[in-house]
Amino acid sequence: MTSETGFDPNLYDRFPTSGPRPENELEELERIWRPPSGWGRLGIINNNYIGIWYIGTAFLFFLLAGILALVMRVQLALPLQGVLSEHQYAEFFTMHGTVMMFLFAVPMMEALGVLLLPQMLAARDLPFPRLSAYAFWAYFAGGLSFFASIFVGLAPTGGWFMYPPLTSSVYSPGINADFWLLGIGFIEISAIAGAIEIIVGVLRTRAPGMTLDRMPIFAWGMLVFAGMVVIAFPAVILCTLLLELERALNWPFFDPTRGGDPLLWQHLFWFFGHPEVYIIFLPAAALVSSMIPALARTRLVGHNLVVIAFLATAFISFGVWAHHMFATGMPLLSIGFFSAASMAVSVPAGIQVFAWIATFAAGTPKFNVPTLFVLGGLVTFVIGGLTGVMVAMVPFDWQAHDTYFIVAHLHYVLIGGSVFPLFAAFYYWTPMTSARPLSERLGKWVFWLMFAGMQVAFMPMHLSGLMGMPRRVFTYLPGRELTATNLISTVGAYLLAAGVALFLFDLARSFRFRMEGNAGNVYGGGTLEWLPTGSYSSRSIPLVRGRQPLWQDPALADDVRDGRYFLPRSATGFRETIITSPLRAEPEYLEIMPGPSGWPFSAAIFTALFFMLMTVQAYGVALVCGAIAIGCVLRWLWDTDRPVAPEEVDAGGGIMLPTYVTGPRSHGWWAVVILLVVIGMIFLMTVFSLVYLFGIHPRFWAPVPPLGWLAPILIFNAGGAMLVLTARRLLCRGTTLWTPPTLMLLGTPMLALALALDFWSWRSAGFDPQLTAQAAVVHAFMAQQAMLCAVSLLMAFYIAARASRGMLTAPRSNSFDIATIFIVYTAAQGCAAALIVRALPTAM
Amino acid sequence: MSRLISTLWAPDGLFAGWPPAVLDPAGPYAGSIAVLTWVLFAIALLVLAVVGTALWIALWGKQRTRQRLGGSRLIWIAGIAFPVVVLTLLLVYGLRLTSSLSAGTGPRTDLRIRVTGEMWWWRVAYLDAEGRVVSWDANELHIPVGRTVELELESADVIHSFWVPRLSGKTDMIPGRRNLIKIQADAPGVYAGQCAEYCGGPHALMGFVVIAQPPADFARFMRAASHPAAPPPSPGRQLFETAGCAACHRIAGTPANGMEGPDLTLLGRRRTLGAGILPNNHGTLMGWIGDSQAIKPGNRMPPFSMLSSAELDALATYLEQRK
Amino acid sequence: MQARIAAIALLLVTVGACKSPPVRRHFMPEASASRGKAIIARVGCTACHAIPGIDWPKGRVGPNLENFADGTLIAGKVPNRPDMLAAYVRDAPALVPGSGMPAMPLTQEESRDVAAYLYTLGA
Repeated sequence: MTSETGFDPNLYDRFPTSGPRPENELEELERIWRPPSGWGRLGIINNNYIGIWYIGTAFLFFLLAGILALVMRVQLALPLQGVLSEHQYAEFFTMHGTVMMFLFAVPMMEALGVLLLPQMLAARDLPFPRLSAYAFWAYFAGGLSFFASIFVGLAPTGGWFMYPPLTSSVYSPGINADFWLLGIGFIEISAIAGAIEIIVGVLRTRAPGMTLDRMPIFAWGMLVFAGMVVIAFPAVILCTLLLELERALNWPFFDPTRGGDPLLWQHLFWFFGHPEVYIIFLPAAALVSSMIPALARTRLVGHNLVVIAFLATAFISFGVWAHHMFATGMPLLSIGFFSAASMAVSVPAGIQVFAWIATFAAGTPKFNVPTLFVLGGLVTFVIGGLTGVMVAMVPFDWQAHDTYFIVAHLHYVLIGGSVFPLFAAFYYWTPMTSARPLSERLGKWVFWLMFAGMQVAFMPMHLSGLMGMPRRVFTYLPGRELTATNLISTVGAYLLAAGVALFLFDLARSFRFRMEGNAGNVYGGGTLEWLPTGSYSSRSIPLVRGRQPLWQDPALADDVRDGRYFLPRSATGFRETIITSPLRAEPEYLEIMPGPSGWPFSAAIFTALFFMLMTVQAYGVALVCGAIAIGCVLRWLWDTDRPVAPEEVDAGGGIMLPTYVTGPRSHGWWAVVILLVVIGMIFLMTVFSLVYLFGIHPRFWAPVPPLGWLAPILIFNAGGAMLVLTARRLLCRGTTLWTPPTLMLLGTPMLALALALDFWSWRSAGFDPQLTAQAAVVHAFMAQQAMLCAVSLLMAFYIAARASRGMLTAPRSNSFDIATIFIVYTAAQGCAAALIVRALPTAM
Repeated sequence: MSRLISTLWAPDGLFAGWPPAVLDPAGPYAGSIAVLTWVLFAIALLVLAVVGTALWIALWGKQRTRQRLGGSRLIWIAGIAFPVVVLTLLLVYGLRLTSSLSAGTGPRTDLRIRVTGEMWWWRVAYLDAEGRVVSWDANELHIPVGRTVELELESADVIHSFWVPRLSGKTDMIPGRRNLIKIQADAPGVYAGQCAEYCGGPHALMGFVVIAQPPADFARFMRAASHPAAPPPSPGRQLFETAGCAACHRIAGTPANGMEGPDLTLLGRRRTLGAGILPNNHGTLMGWIGDSQAIKPGNRMPPFSMLSSAELDALATYLEQRK
Repeated sequence: MQARIAAIALLLVTVGACKSPPVRRHFMPEASASRGKAIIARVGCTACHAIPGIDWPKGRVGPNLENFADGTLIAGKVPNRPDMLAAYVRDAPALVPGSGMPAMPLTQEESRDVAAYLYTLGA
């Protein structure tokens, strides 16, 4: 057996350890991990609490968006109903789509990750619990205030994909569209934060011995999910940024009269928007793949194929975005490519469907409620997939596009592929966190009502579409024979709603949150989330020897509870978890985790206030709130990155692990690198916008400023980076002659100086971002660079402050490393941006 | 409640919508898509049957059959090989059809019409061989039966989408771009169209009609349309030119030359008012002019409620003679 | 088919709840109110008049015809009688010179049907 980190696998033979553990260990663990009570609850960061709140909030948005749909169905039940005006109807369908996609589906998946992943991986918590808390509260406050816009008639009206120019300030002059951008802003924050958390969590906090091959399939799904978020969300971050710039400052990215193009939005939005569908589907499919083995009492057939299917889906999904644009008059060659990719993406889905069927065939399925929901979801999803193949056929899409056929298709895919699996998961995992499981008897009613309602509501919509009913119409005229299908759809929608209402009733009756003394492993799952737990998760962290550890070793649960595995106690007296290596999960070091804190909550509230106040154009107060939010974040960080006295501790079985690690092995390094991937993707998407607009309207492009400007820009950026790198080298050597923070404080402003020069060069050449799309994109690059520079400066001052308080560890410091990486990246992007915006029009 | 009953009890019954427009093509471009649709439905049903059978066996089959199904062989055969074959065949079929239907391919047609999407109506321009506008019209498209017509689709404001399901698939109208689409009707008739891309406001009430005529009738229409007679002076005409109508509407041969709203030179010929939504006659014309906001809320025409009924009558008389 | 059965069931359940038909003061044995309603929708009377039973449009240029059957005069000039009404909806200016309402494209039968429908509008 080879090793990844030099860890000797023979050490694993020490587990389970024998002999009794000291008595006070468990009490100590309980004390350290106990969540605060009273108002202190706002400072809770334990993943099991945050996870449940997160799920509850996402479910609330599911209900709210569902109610909007029910009102819309009344409006459409008969021709020319007057329940909603056309403006209200536009608000309703925009909010329904936006809330379902952004405030329900994506957060729900992240919430399940927050709740389930640490349990499944037998980590004590996610690696950045305060970040989870911040992401949750920002989403909670921001999402609710965004939703409230519908009560005051300020909800957006452009549909969930908000195509400009309809959403530009010319055709949507109110602040309704800005509310959409606001709502999306929150979900961008929480999605990115969640993705970083999940990637680092899955790759670095797995229980020892849980190699990638033994990792639960849900963790695989979440890993791919998080990877897709990191690649896809930058596109929507950029396009919301561009649209807000166009609306607020009149920068014409999408205005064809000044060299912009409305289709740029569609490309950017769907580069995010289609992967988004799989971002919603993959975790749900992973839930199904993790439940079916327990439900059918056998291993998942084709485990490796399913993992490959996840990866293939993720890969192909980034090549299908333009299939939402077949009717825009694209060249035949691109049409062919996107049509082929859109069909290809159904193959991995087929793999998963047949893996599930094969598992049912291999096992002994029982028709309990989770099984029913899994089966109902499977059938529904297959129908949606088949209509998906239909619309991937371009000529058919020309007819079906933007009609109720598409409405039917997307609801089949999303309800079958995501909502039904979620309900299966609710039934399956509720016993893990509740004193009582949900009712099997009521559950069957819930399922049949929802399943029948779903079919009755959406099957006739295929026909409505083929009969000529476009989507997003607030009414239809009598005499086009659309009444029958619409009326049936409305009846179905209410059946579906009745099922959900019954579920709520059961939830209120049966759900009682418990960390300890919960109903337990009702369905007989074999993965680690069914270990006995407290607020500290499992008593000790087991050694994993297979994919279904609880099935393979019936004594595992007892041994874990008795502390016979890793970390049976708090080794340092703080919250801690084991960081393991990414491939083979060999124990590397002990992460000292931050404790409960109100700062993430305050930071989230002020972030929400900042965005809200910006939207209602109270800029002064907004800036104050923004500053307070930043202050709160810095204050929460202040407690972190504090090495503890023992450099090595016994992590169980006499295995000694370090308590502080820097560089590429540390979890903080991983997080900042992932963040830089996100920022880099935003940059790449901006480059795409530049190239795209240049290709569309080259006649609007003016010669760039003299290339001589490049020299100082590049020199200042490089010089700044060199200074910061030198500072880090000096820190490593323990030099005090030029204190490293001073060098960092000197180096970072050089980047800002380079940016100022860049800005001045364009200004002096007469580039006004309001006049042409070229100038607007150039300024968009500089705006991004300005944000990076601001963060870099903030980091430099933070490091200096820590150093002045003697809190900068030497010779190695994670805080210093992270600041260095970020600042050097900023310098690199500054150079790249300055080069690219000049090179493109010059080279062509 | 009585509405519900009267709707369901209408003489044409519940299933008057069959066949749906997409499956009831009136020309070759929609026709081949209708064939494709049936093929796709058949394949979808076949696949659904395969999945359903496999699922049925997996859940309720005999132990031996179930065991045969319960391995990764099923995934390789049914989940990978089968879809790859079917999808490849479909893709070839689909792409061939796509290129045969595309407006960019094949010889240029000699009849071109430019249709511009506007918030919430359609500007129509009949073009000659050099691309010059021969005649303006709105919300109604005359085409000769049996001839392929190429449409230049443009937009004046936001994105719209041109869709006549019985004649062809839809194509977007995008500001700053010009898309081409081919349509053809093989039988005379009136074919309903509708804006398919959400464009705000009364998007749901942005319809139009395509009128397919025998070639001789079409030629007559084009002759009349390209040489409209100058209207004689009349009270209606005078009102039209003084009450503000002329600021937005054009009538060829008169000083009224506003291009904001639909061209009214041929209004008397049109089947509909308000972009495909209201029958066109003297009475509806008066109602539309007097208060179109009651009919199509949010449209760009202000109510002319200050006009007396006699004035509305005069205007309607003048306009319905414009053909 | 199932939807039709559901509709019948709905009808049976709700028929008792519907109000009784208005008293037929204006007896028109050969005309059909339901045909009249369809004709009204086809020629677009509602571009000017709000007419109960026709949901859209509800024009505001002409008078609201709610409770039309209860009125005593048509256009304030002629008695509200079936023969008068049928003639009026077909060619109002001929019957009441200076009327705001224009002649409408209706046959004699159609105008009687329209009149029959208008007479169903009353308290």
